Amino acid sequence: MSQAHTLPQGGFKQWWLKWRFHLNILLILIPLGFMPKYFADASLFRGDSGLGANVVQGLQVGRWTLDLAELRDEAPRADGPAGDFKAFNAALCNTCAEGVKAIYLRIGKPRSLRAAGSIFFGPPSRMGTNLPIPPRTRPDADIWVTIEGWDGKMYQASVPLAKASPATAAWLEKQGGNK
Amino acid sequence: MKHLMRRLALPCLLLAATPALAHNPMCECTESGEQITCKGGFSDGSGAPGVTLDVIGYDEQVLVASKLGADSTLSFKRPDGEFYVLFDAGPGHVVEVDHADIGAP
Repeated sequence: MSQAHTLPQGGFKQWWLKWRFHLNILLILIPLGFMPKYFADASLFRGDSGLGANVVQGLQVGRWTLDLAELRDEAPRADGPAGDFKAFNAALCNTCAEGVKAIYLRIGKPRSLRAAGSIFFGPPSRMGTNLPIPPRTRPDADIWVTIEGWDGKMYQASVPLAKASPATAAWLEKQGGNK
Repeated sequence: MKHLMRRLALPCLLLAATPALAHNPMCECTESGEQITCKGGFSDGSGAPGVTLDVIGYDEQVLVASKLGADSTLSFKRPDGEFYVLFDAGPGHVVEVDHADIGAP
């Protein structure tokens, strides 16, 4: 009587009960598909694949030289009600972090040191910041790097947004500069 | 009990795996009549009570120097001329709102 329960009837059901165990292999295969992206990201965040995309090399700010790059070659990402943001990385040349108190990034020329923009954080050889992109930014705008020195002075330089992040300029163009 | 735990296991794991949330500063200003009300906060949903909020003229003259109240808002009379509102949560954590961007809600 109990045999009727343990021995299933029908070819397909028997085949399924025997082979469903092998679905486990899928659990190994699915993560394999994501591995190339995982390793690319890991190398990007470690800095093994450079500072980022569209590197602006040797930007002269005061007596310092700085490399600036967007983290990824892509349009800004929305952060809820706070607006759209674009991640940028920067690196000071190896021997010249001396005298730098803080580095800021802003679209358009800062009005004052208080409003110098978003601040870079991290080691001098690889700093990062999240730059807010105001909705009414023009595609031909410049981004300004402000270095605040320990001498209390402000040193500035600018680079066209279209050069530092072509994807952002194209995104702004598409929006017509007014969201 | 065991059944319930099994059912909840996946949703719990998914919740635990939410990416690190950024907390970018934000500030919104609206106008009603002569009064302007600004509300500050952070994009992770937290408020900003006690954070500095200054109203500064284009000539860099501070017109209103104040701090946000317990409800993260501040109301002030619209100053004459051109100005901007500066939400200042510390160096590099600022939001500027230009007077041209302040309108009725």
